[in-house]
Amino acid sequence: MRRARPLLGTYVDIEASGRADPVLERAVNAAFEAVARVHRLMSFHDSNSDISRLNRRAAHEPVAVDRWTATVLRQARRIFEATDGLFDCAVGHELMQRGLLPSQDLDHVERGTFSGVELLRDHRVRFSAGIAIDLGGIAKGFAVDRAIAALRGHGVREAVVNAGGDMRVMGDTPRPIHVRCPSDGPCLVPAGLLQNGAVATSSAMTTVARGPARLAQSMQSAAACIDRKAYSVVAPTCLLADALTKVLVQVGDIHADYFGNFGACAFITSAAAVNDRAA
Amino acid sequence: MPMKWTPVLAAPAAIMLIAPASATIYLTVDQAQQAIFPGTAVSPTGQPGVFRASNGGYLIIDRVIGKHEYIKFAVGINANGTIKQIEILEYSESYGYEVRDANWRAQFVGKSATSPLQLNVDINNISGATLSSRHLTEGIKRIMTMYQSSLRGR
Repeated sequence: MRRARPLLGTYVDIEASGRADPVLERAVNAAFEAVARVHRLMSFHDSNSDISRLNRRAAHEPVAVDRWTATVLRQARRIFEATDGLFDCAVGHELMQRGLLPSQDLDHVERGTFSGVELLRDHRVRFSAGIAIDLGGIAKGFAVDRAIAALRGHGVREAVVNAGGDMRVMGDTPRPIHVRCPSDGPCLVPAGLLQNGAVATSSAMTTVARGPARLAQSMQSAAACIDRKAYSVVAPTCLLADALTKVLVQVGDIHADYFGNFGACAFITSAAAVNDRAA
Repeated sequence: MPMKWTPVLAAPAAIMLIAPASATIYLTVDQAQQAIFPGTAVSPTGQPGVFRASNGGYLIIDRVIGKHEYIKFAVGINANGTIKQIEILEYSESYGYEVRDANWRAQFVGKSATSPLQLNVDINNISGATLSSRHLTEGIKRIMTMYQSSLRGR
């Protein structure tokens, strides 16, 4: 059984097999519901989401969030620390300045880092600075993981969940994975076979650089225009894969320790290289 | 069950082909009716793509066409005018595709290596910078406007 719905600003595709149709139907519906729940909790665009409430108020007082949001923030903190700050969800200010995120009611927000996020007891969160966080770099991966968990909870053991390019496969069937490369027209390149793991891909265009690798803003936009590479990470969970692609875009080095330390594997695909080889 | 990743090996030669649009059919119109209004009678209204459910709801089928994609979708609307469920019926995208020599493909696609360029069946799992569903969102807004102006309360 294969279904697709528009969620998280993209198309979420769920394929499940190995059980009777009514079981699969319930499992797939539950998986979509998990994705929809992540969408409601973590959207920057929805003023009622946990993230919007945090960005408006957490600099003034502790804000209680859902346990799923708390889980993602804890993981974001762990990856922020393990990547020397290269993975940083506190990029709301930069994204608003570029017009990529709405800035309504966020006049107090300034540039900062995830070190300003304090995770308190009982799923409460406080910001020690006027920062804004955006979970765009991690929530989609988390949503895919929750969808896989929902399928598993209904007894499904063979499945693929693909949220517009961030995906996780469950089961012993080796699945061929292709990477969509940014180029003049969409171009597909075969990447490998995956069992029981996740893969995510980013481009330089959609990533805010952090740390020593940070480029001047104008430099970065210029670089994004000429960089037609797809930066992919394979990892045990889609949250990790999703987050680590943002690190790979910045370090540009698939052998950096960050990936192995998380049990992940990085690779870069270039449409230009494909063209070169074809010539 | 641990993760296992087998990357493709470097290829001796490569050519670029433009693949025809590869389409995924998720649901037929009948299946979409069942999925969105289970156990409820749904009948045509005479207006193309517009169906009425016996509980006062509507099912509307439409399509959006973007630069590289074609999407046919269904919107289920409750009797009170809220969206009940959205399902994608068909999705297709056109791609350029890198195809390498037969030996190379044999190690990658396995059982389908003997049937060259079965792109429509073989390519399912595509990782990439996130696709935007903006076109579809606009299509859904269009449908809800049409519903408000010409279907609601009928």
